Amino acid sequence: MTITRKALHRRSFLRGMGAAVGLPFLDAMVPAMAFGNAWAAKPPLRMAFAYVPNGIVMEQWNPGYEGCLAELPRILKTMEPHRDDILMLGNLTHNTGRALLDGAGDHGRCSGSYLTGIQVKKTTVDIRAGVSCDQIVATHLADRTRFPSLEVGMEDARQAGDCDSGYSCAYTNNLAWKTETQPLPPILNPRALFERLFGNGVILSPETRARQADYRRSILDFVNEDTRKLEASLGPTDRRKLDEYLSSIREVERQIERAEKTNAQIDPHMEKPYGVPADFAEHFRLMSDMITIAFQADLTRVVTFLMTREGTSRPYRELGISDGHHPCTHHQGKPELIEKVTRINTYHATQMAGWVARLKSIQEGDRRLLDNMMLVYGAGLSDGNRHLHEDLPTMVIGNAGGTIKTGRRVVYRKETPMCNLHLSMMERMGVHMEHFGDSTGQLSFADLA
Amino acid sequence: MQLHGEAKRVLGIVFDSDLGNGVDAALALALLYRLQGKGEARLISSSTTWSNLSSAAFADVLARFYAGPPPTGASAHFQRPLPPIGMAGDGNVDGDTAVLKAVIEKKTADGMPVYPCGIHKLNDTAEPAALIRNSLTAQFDANCVVVLAGPATNLVQVMDLPGVPGLIKRKVKLLVMAAGAYPDGPVDFRVKAGVAAAKRLLAEWPTPIVAVGTEVGDALPFPGSTIENGFDWAPDHPIVDAYRAFQPMPYDAAAPSMAAVLYAVRPDGYFKLSPPGTIAVLDDGRTRFTPAADGRHRYLVIDPAQKEKVIRTYTDLVSG
Repeated sequence: MTITRKALHRRSFLRGMGAAVGLPFLDAMVPAMAFGNAWAAKPPLRMAFAYVPNGIVMEQWNPGYEGCLAELPRILKTMEPHRDDILMLGNLTHNTGRALLDGAGDHGRCSGSYLTGIQVKKTTVDIRAGVSCDQIVATHLADRTRFPSLEVGMEDARQAGDCDSGYSCAYTNNLAWKTETQPLPPILNPRALFERLFGNGVILSPETRARQADYRRSILDFVNEDTRKLEASLGPTDRRKLDEYLSSIREVERQIERAEKTNAQIDPHMEKPYGVPADFAEHFRLMSDMITIAFQADLTRVVTFLMTREGTSRPYRELGISDGHHPCTHHQGKPELIEKVTRINTYHATQMAGWVARLKSIQEGDRRLLDNMMLVYGAGLSDGNRHLHEDLPTMVIGNAGGTIKTGRRVVYRKETPMCNLHLSMMERMGVHMEHFGDSTGQLSFADLA
Repeated sequence: MQLHGEAKRVLGIVFDSDLGNGVDAALALALLYRLQGKGEARLISSSTTWSNLSSAAFADVLARFYAGPPPTGASAHFQRPLPPIGMAGDGNVDGDTAVLKAVIEKKTADGMPVYPCGIHKLNDTAEPAALIRNSLTAQFDANCVVVLAGPATNLVQVMDLPGVPGLIKRKVKLLVMAAGAYPDGPVDFRVKAGVAAAKRLLAEWPTPIVAVGTEVGDALPFPGSTIENGFDWAPDHPIVDAYRAFQPMPYDAAAPSMAAVLYAVRPDGYFKLSPPGTIAVLDDGRTRFTPAADGRHRYLVIDPAQKEKVIRTYTDLVSG
């Protein structure tokens, strides 16, 4: 039998004027010879880190048991439907986040060291950390995707100034470090992220965008011709997948437009930049949806997501909490403040749960998108009141293509370096290193798979 | 040089021992906690070379005993947790000694443990190499002494971590090891339990080493009479229970590890030192000292004039 079927390239784009829309994983991308060949048909593995600041109320995070996950504590209650997809890790420590003779500044240190494993230099001028594990992987995969990595945030991208007791804002406001002196600032603005993912690289100014608002079309309109051509060549399953995918992009676009319109009507002096939703959940949803699309279309395989910056004093008025997050965490045992922090922690986890549900709903080959991911959700401090750097709240969501056994809580020995997790994740992403940061070895295979 | 207005830098001590395998290491740890109470030293890392959970639990009992009752109420939220206890291996080595049982299994009239303990399973302990390495990273340069009162296995693992030999060289000014017999003598069980590790430690440890031989421990024992009479103030005391369990009373316990701790914290006024040289470990576990002008090893020598003072220091501090 002669096989003539020609596969669609994995990195195909729908192109149009100023637009390039990547495609999700379609059956048409699997070479005919590869059907039944697991390797050739294998979707890529992705690595992401979603970071929350100021520690967690650990009594409401850690289940009081090890092994198979059952009932989850209050903060993670909304994660319960996803417990089979979660691996909770205990006792991971970032020693380099500790003072180590450098005095105050745990917030600056813990975020700076979170993915670098380095004791960052205490300075506001000549910053120095280390290459973060996500960037080591990004460099390794640089030629495989349109973007080696994406850095996403939701609050503050200042790169200068003192954000914590002599530590530069570069440490609190970035997770990804390309070199030891070059952090990669996160994109905060949904429009900017959208245009980065689907545009031609030119980000319009708010004024220009506002002028165009009345007559602008969807980015999908620009790629209409390519879309029609592609649809004609696809089978019904792929057509449905493509339609769902393009609809999700259109929905994101609508939400961005809505946020821009809403912002235009409110106080122009508010601190939120143009187009950034004032509502945390709405902002989170937009950014996480775009990360999802970026993974779906294999635009990148490496993402860092700084939900809010370390040390943030953001109030959560949507929860009726007008005190800043950071001051609340120094609760000194006062129940009313502990309650507020718990509610903030729960709110963050709830957003994550919504994202996980969406990642689970997307099919990719014969698996779900989440199954081809390692999404770490965690913080650089455990107890924010005492600034503890041990037993960091850490969960891995997704089973990394079946190489991580989820649905469990594994508690390691005390002082086990967080960098051991980074080393294990890098290995799964195809980067073998003998050590990283202060690692003492990979988390043992028996524990993870 | 201490700068004007700068707080005195308290000496950091890393204590790695075969706790519970005899009573010597427990006495040394008690001495160390008392010196810490006087502000002369700070125990920055406590670990056991024995892969036995009860040994780690004993270390935890001592840490809690000397720290006093934990604060309650609002002040509990200011209290930093006690440092973890390091333990070699996976804790599966059986053979709890009478010393360990006497402390860990001691119960009140209503069946509760007499001594609070936070170690019940492997992940209540720390992997010792990471623990010791991490503790060193928080020390001022040349402001730390490592006291080894057990086989060298843990310390050799520390040296194997990337970058750690340089860290040791920078942070540690001295290793004091209670092992061997000098200038030569019979086999010491602590050396024999890890001959290869002892050889590597003596060959590669990047700081000067002072060894405390069994001859010092035998000549400067901790008096059993102090156990009988010196602890009336404490209805339950883990050191007393451990001491009584080790051998039938009355006896005086050989205490080389106490000498090691005392020398580490108070290097002047109690002991003499040999000239420099090199300690070799023989395959059968014996040690042999060879003088050499450029040697990095020395051993502790008893100063007969200070013998009473040394023992009085032991008893005053440990029973105080």
